[in-house]
Amino acid sequence: MKIYVSMAAAATMLLLGGCATEQPQPKKHASVVNVLDAACGNDDIVVKDIKGKRRKDGFMQVQVQGENTSGDYKRLEYRIIWYDKSGFQLDTILSNWTTVPAYAHQPFVINTVSPSTRARKFRIYIRNEKEMLCDKQEDEQ
Amino acid sequence: MRQTRRRTVIALALAAVLMGGCAPKTENIDINNDKNADAVMGLDYRDFQAAAQEMVQSLIASGVLAKPGGGRYILAVSNVLNDTMQHIDTDQLVKKIRVALLRSGKVYVTTAVGADGPEDAMSMKTRKELRGNEEFKQSTVAGKGEMIAPDLSLSGKIIQRNVSIDRERQQVEYYFQMTLTDIKTGLAIWEDEKIIGKRGSNKSVAW
Repeated sequence: MKIYVSMAAAATMLLLGGCATEQPQPKKHASVVNVLDAACGNDDIVVKDIKGKRRKDGFMQVQVQGENTSGDYKRLEYRIIWYDKSGFQLDTILSNWTTVPAYAHQPFVINTVSPSTRARKFRIYIRNEKEMLCDKQEDEQ
Repeated sequence: MRQTRRRTVIALALAAVLMGGCAPKTENIDINNDKNADAVMGLDYRDFQAAAQEMVQSLIASGVLAKPGGGRYILAVSNVLNDTMQHIDTDQLVKKIRVALLRSGKVYVTTAVGADGPEDAMSMKTRKELRGNEEFKQSTVAGKGEMIAPDLSLSGKIIQRNVSIDRERQQVEYYFQMTLTDIKTGLAIWEDEKIIGKRGSNKSVAW
């Protein structure tokens, strides 16, 4: 009996493993780097995509795409901490909390740029009414 | 008589203690975590910070700070008019923008040129006064033709509009408007506006 249960469990794992799709790994030195490997958020707000790139003028650009699945308007806030190539935080007013509107049953986008051409990495926080929805850091490119 | 005087003194002391107890306590503001504190009808540091942040973000995102061939632009700060009913030093806004632009790595701000003369009068004065002055080693004095002329000029305006809602409430609108001009061509290469609106009691005075 025990053997049958173990075999069934192993077969299920194999089948499930076969069905799972591999998460795309961010490519090193790619022009656009995907930061989010799985959606984050809560029942009302879903953050589907966070990506960053270096622009031609040397500044980094970050874009967040998400959706407000609820029937209410949400006043989201986000904050991005920027780091130089040595991992030191850049002191800037652009790291203050900033509001972004998320209208009922509609997608929302955060589009922002780094305060300096020295920025190499970033960490983004997104919250709604003080509830943290997302905390993601871009790894070294 | 003496007893009456003593009673009066005690009553006064008691009143002073009670009144002191009712007065609002003075406390320092934690400017890093003050967003949800009471809003005021006038402009406060939170509004200037939000306006400056949005302006800098917009300016960098526009891409106009990328100088062809590399290097930094030289920026002169022109007039930022205060068209509100409040006594505002517009440097509360402009300084934040200047600092952020300097740190961006794309701009230097000149203090030798301004709408009302050089911002740093000393830098201009010392050059003129020290040049040819035998007390100073002339090789250390700034020579003629060494100052760098600005490429860009930043100007702006803060406007206030009061709208009465009803007998008890009013709405105050503030418009932060900024323009970046290419001095060579005279063209405005970037412009933006941020609106901050407040609703509150008519008894609150926004000046």
